[in-house]
Amino acid sequence: MFEFLFKYPTTVFSKGELVLLAPWPLWALGAAIAVAAVALGVNIRGSRSLLSGARPAVIWLLQSAVVVLVLFLLWHPAISIATLRPQQNVVSVLIDDSRSMALREEGGTRLQQAVSGLNSGVLDALRKKFQVRVYRFGKNLERIDKLEQLTASAGASRIGDAVTEALTDASTLPLGALVLLSDGADNSGGIDRETIARIRQRRIPVHTVGFGREKISPDVEISDATLPARALVDSRLAAQVTFRHNGYTQRKARLAVRDGNKVLASQEITLKAEGVPQTESLTFQAGIAGAKGFQFSIDPLDGEENVNNNTLLRLVNVEATKPRILYIEGEPRWEFKFIRRAIDEDRSLELVSMLRTTQNKIYRQGVTNARPQELEHGFPAKAEELFFYSGLIVGSVEAGYFTAAQQELIKEFANRRGGGVLFLGGRFTLSDGGYPASPLAEMLPVRLPPQKGTFHRDEANFELTPAGRESLICRLEDRPERNAERWKKMPLLADYQELGEVKPGAVALAEVNAPGKRRMPVLAVENYGRGRTAVFATQGSWRWKMLQDHQDKTHHMFWQQLLRWLASESPGAVVASTPRPVLADETKVHLRADVRDKAYKPMANVRVEARIVGPGDASGTVELLPQPLEEGVYEADWDAEKPGSYVAEIVVKKDQQEAGRDVLMFRREDGVAENFRLAQNRELLEKLAEQTGGRYYTARDLPKLSDQISYSEAGITTRETRDLWDMPAVFLAALLLRGSEWLLRRRWGVV
Amino acid sequence: MRPRILRPASVALFLLVTALFAQRGGFRPFAEDDDNVPVPPDAQEKTEYAFARLKYPSGRFWGYRGYWTIDYPKADRQFVQGVRRLTRLHTKSVEVIVNLDDDEVFKWPWIYAVEVGHWTLNDAQCKKLREYLLRGGFLMTDDFHGTQEWAVFMDSMSRVFPDRPVVEIENSDQIFHVLYDLDERMQVPGIVNWPFHRTYERDGYDPHYRGIYDDKGRLMVGICFNQDNGDAWEWADSPNYPEKYASQAYRTGINYIIYAMTH
Repeated sequence: MFEFLFKYPTTVFSKGELVLLAPWPLWALGAAIAVAAVALGVNIRGSRSLLSGARPAVIWLLQSAVVVLVLFLLWHPAISIATLRPQQNVVSVLIDDSRSMALREEGGTRLQQAVSGLNSGVLDALRKKFQVRVYRFGKNLERIDKLEQLTASAGASRIGDAVTEALTDASTLPLGALVLLSDGADNSGGIDRETIARIRQRRIPVHTVGFGREKISPDVEISDATLPARALVDSRLAAQVTFRHNGYTQRKARLAVRDGNKVLASQEITLKAEGVPQTESLTFQAGIAGAKGFQFSIDPLDGEENVNNNTLLRLVNVEATKPRILYIEGEPRWEFKFIRRAIDEDRSLELVSMLRTTQNKIYRQGVTNARPQELEHGFPAKAEELFFYSGLIVGSVEAGYFTAAQQELIKEFANRRGGGVLFLGGRFTLSDGGYPASPLAEMLPVRLPPQKGTFHRDEANFELTPAGRESLICRLEDRPERNAERWKKMPLLADYQELGEVKPGAVALAEVNAPGKRRMPVLAVENYGRGRTAVFATQGSWRWKMLQDHQDKTHHMFWQQLLRWLASESPGAVVASTPRPVLADETKVHLRADVRDKAYKPMANVRVEARIVGPGDASGTVELLPQPLEEGVYEADWDAEKPGSYVAEIVVKKDQQEAGRDVLMFRREDGVAENFRLAQNRELLEKLAEQTGGRYYTARDLPKLSDQISYSEAGITTRETRDLWDMPAVFLAALLLRGSEWLLRRRWGVV
Repeated sequence: MRPRILRPASVALFLLVTALFAQRGGFRPFAEDDDNVPVPPDAQEKTEYAFARLKYPSGRFWGYRGYWTIDYPKADRQFVQGVRRLTRLHTKSVEVIVNLDDDEVFKWPWIYAVEVGHWTLNDAQCKKLREYLLRGGFLMTDDFHGTQEWAVFMDSMSRVFPDRPVVEIENSDQIFHVLYDLDERMQVPGIVNWPFHRTYERDGYDPHYRGIYDDKGRLMVGICFNQDNGDAWEWADSPNYPEKYASQAYRTGINYIIYAMTH
């Protein structure tokens, strides 16, 4: 319709420039319009006896508009536009040859639609005007001679890489445009801004042609599952599983996590709004030590189009290490004993404690024969001594018991070392222990009341907040509602300590509800620097043990989970990581190591090497290189040649001496990526076209491509001038204006 | 006539001797009465620890009080003064009385039972005591002596833990080292042994420190057999009670408390 009215496609108007070809100056057009408008006004004023009110003005406007239109046409308007010179430019046609293009739609597979579209005259039309280079792409770009070479069998498609490579391939040629035929199902996570910027630098328009339905229905797809890359033995893990569906609103489905064939946890879920990402939490036990591949899946539903996107793999390294936690306690109290007992039951944590039994005596527990002098001289005064621990519990200890240097060290323990610090309530601590005026107040997740007398030996109810109901620390039951019920039946705390409000960024997991007092936080957590801090403002949780059956594990579970949270994520001196531990139809793995010394200061001038062992003989060694902008960070890329599991041992050496090491696991999986995101990613294709000056076409619009592709400023171009005076829209406008005047005059009886 | 004079004369003589004996402290060389201990002004203070004395059935002794009341309340209050002075433990100045018939006992994870050579726990009480100990409570028993009282003690205790042996506590156990090193221990005599030419009662010649452990190797029951720490606490303020016994009794009691709060 647009082209019918305006003679040219929209591309001509969007890319062209309006010019007036008449030799007369532009001001003359303005003057002529003004004179004509005045003359018309005088004329209509003369016949005012026939028209009353606003009618003369309406007539004047309509007549003036006609005059303006005629005068504008006299000045000979035209569009000046750059077009590619015939047969002097190259057009590259990139066809997605990944497996998702084999998906059957109405009218054949996506690839068949693309091929038949090209064969129905588009390719011939292009060849008449340009030199055409045809490529297919999946993981890599490959030039082909015939469309029959397309097989829709590539395990992945990387659109950004393909476009970049095609531009490079034709870098010495007059490339006029690039045509991309794809379903937009890119497996590299989309096209990043850097790639777009690189393409834009070449000023080559990328025209995209989208194939495939924009919505696959009915279907359920797991799009992500997040959980920590490392866990302790027997840890309870909480995975956030994100999925979306089409066509199954309000249907029940079963979400499960498996280790091999063993179902670790499952729960029934209700599928909510269609097309909207939905996230559910699934908790399960990490189990024994080892490299674990947890499979998250939603059982296939009736009539589901694609069941291969119902499962997602995630790797977790269940470590046999036992984080060591230091507990300093300022007075004998029952809480101390029962915390110790809870951790005695946990084979993944070690608790070493120092208890001030008298004014000058310290009783040490948990000290091993390997380090018999541990804590012999009291609380650590050096960074390398304190940072040896992964977690720190500060019991009923006055702030003044620590020297200024030790207080600073405790802050750095969380901030720099990345450890966890837990402050307990008690008669010698928090507000009653001088903390509000100490530097330690800054690292607490709550504000402290300034006055003393905040510790009360009165029973209080421990109530979870909404955040607490979701937290793994307070998770006694997998089901949130059962968990909340169980907490409601817990015995009262023996005592509590008043806290102020929770600081911004911190989260209250539980509150106390004591008779005659306001509700106030009792358990709060926050991230602090590289680590985390928490406050548990009571010393009366031991009642959860003594007032319940001896076989009840509530108290132990709570403390084990709290202390695992405290210590399990404290990094070692060397931390190896990779952004994508599961390489879905990818080969390149990016390795990163954060290297620190015993005082957890970044280490420069060390040699960092990754020794990688993979399936068969797919092994190797790669040196990680220091990153100029991040001190202590070393990175490298490595190609995982074969599918399977890999273990990378990162070894740090300083002056030929080993300074630390860490182990990293990743897995290459082939034939997986193309099972996901099967609907046409129109958004990505439109974005690519728009950002590069091209245009997005649907499969149906493909025939128009050959005509419109010529309008490009890339390659060898010529500038054309296209007349506008003979556009049907002009005549229609003139007719409409005159017709309107006639109709109005007739209605007013002044014809 | 003669018998009529003899009988009142005998009574008069008995009364006279008794009065003289009592006047010089004969039966009770320690003048204080353990019933008349003033209540400290801070008796109502809420604290972390209280000396929890276990009230148990034992028949009647000294009127209607029962064996569980021996040395009560002076021993309790005098002992906790030492606990307060010698440790950082927040301690109540007066004792609390607990029993095995309600659940209040679970709020006091350390309890003291005296003269357990006379206790006669019923099955429900045995069950509750077992549950208390398995949850993490600690029982210190004291002041029972000889074969016969041991048998009575075990008659109830073997129903508390039919499956757990009573063993001698090794010197290396932390209960003897948690605060004070108690490698060298003597028999702490009761007041009946005054003037302490001998320190044992009945056939309880040697002091024993026995115990019952849980599955993790932690003591749940500390059994002070053939010794009387309670009397040592009670009469520690008397010049007639030897300081060495009182000191050891204090150290023993404090170690048993600190052990119970750390293990």
